[in-house]
Amino acid sequence: MRSKEQRVVIVPCSGIGKAFGSVSREAAYELCESLRPDTTRIVALSKLVLGDSAAREAVSRNPAVTIDGCKRMCASKMVKQSGGTALYEATVIDGFRRHKELKPEGVAELNEDGKKLARLLAEEIAETLDRAGPSRTGKGENRVRTPRA
Amino acid sequence: MSELPVRKVGIIACSGEELAEGTVTRQAALKVLNALRPHNTVTICLPLFLAGGEGDRAFARVNPTITVDGCELRCAARATEMYSGKPAASVVVSELVAEHGLGKPEGLRRLNEAGQRAAQAAAERVAALVDEVLEEKERPAAGDEAAPGHDQGEDKAAEAVCSCGSGIPVKKLVIEGQTVEVLALPLILKRFFDAGRQPDEALAHELMEIVKVYNQVPSGAEGSYREAVLQEYAAFCKRKKRE
Repeated sequence: MRSKEQRVVIVPCSGIGKAFGSVSREAAYELCESLRPDTTRIVALSKLVLGDSAAREAVSRNPAVTIDGCKRMCASKMVKQSGGTALYEATVIDGFRRHKELKPEGVAELNEDGKKLARLLAEEIAETLDRAGPSRTGKGENRVRTPRA
Repeated sequence: MSELPVRKVGIIACSGEELAEGTVTRQAALKVLNALRPHNTVTICLPLFLAGGEGDRAFARVNPTITVDGCELRCAARATEMYSGKPAASVVVSELVAEHGLGKPEGLRRLNEAGQRAAQAAAERVAALVDEVLEEKERPAAGDEAAPGHDQGEDKAAEAVCSCGSGIPVKKLVIEGQTVEVLALPLILKRFFDAGRQPDEALAHELMEIVKVYNQVPSGAEGSYREAVLQEYAAFCKRKKRE
């Protein structure tokens, strides 16, 4: 198990008005609580917005993965503005395009399709992290873009 | 007729994804937006103040805001004040929990009972603050079922109004040698153009009355604003007629 300070930082979007925002968070929780609890940790986007020094240090010193709910890409932009480089930029909309049979609905409580899509996204991210390996720092040369539909 | 933004109370949750209290803020905000005060409230994602455009940053200038934070860091309240405008009121879940002895919220994805109680308490506090803010600003017309103080009940679920992607348009004007962003001006000009109004001096007063709803016009500069806005309207009419 890595110390909390050395784990891959996962930054989901903070969207509360649309189902895709909830999918991004659910994917982050699935990854950090169930799939890779020992090697990942969540950093709250609001702390990066505020410029919290501990949060900025976490994203600038560790590989980061962003999970954005919409095309405005807040998580990705904030990681860059905080001095970090995303190892992997996942977007729910791209995941949705790859799995059009799943129709996420609900904000406070995601429907089953939304949870399935979140699980698939989390698994894709976990596989990408496994391929990247523990020694990769996520600094530019290791950056992987989310597969497009 | 083009739609000018309507003044509503903006609810901004910290959404802190690391803490159960952050989940409480989201649940509380959604209760207010969907059930308790659906017709008087709107929301925006906090990161858009930095990741979005000028229209997003103008959110707290157009809408009086109430922030909902999970912890004493108060990311939502402080970031809103730094990047958009001072919130009209703020709620901190950890303080509310301590004040009411609600127990420790737990569960990032699914709140425990204490978390659910905290979400309900925070939502009720925010709804009361919405009423206070609206009473201070302006009361809706009598008979409006969404009037402040009328609890609309959680069974009347409505869609949360999210401002993502619907930033308020701005227009930059040079006024007294300074570049000034005039909020909602494109919509205001279109509204008058659609109504067939001519860009004459008689219209300038009406234009300014609406411009002042969405913008702070410095005292002493109103004449310069009036002149610049009227010139912009004349140019707008010319462009529209050529299209």
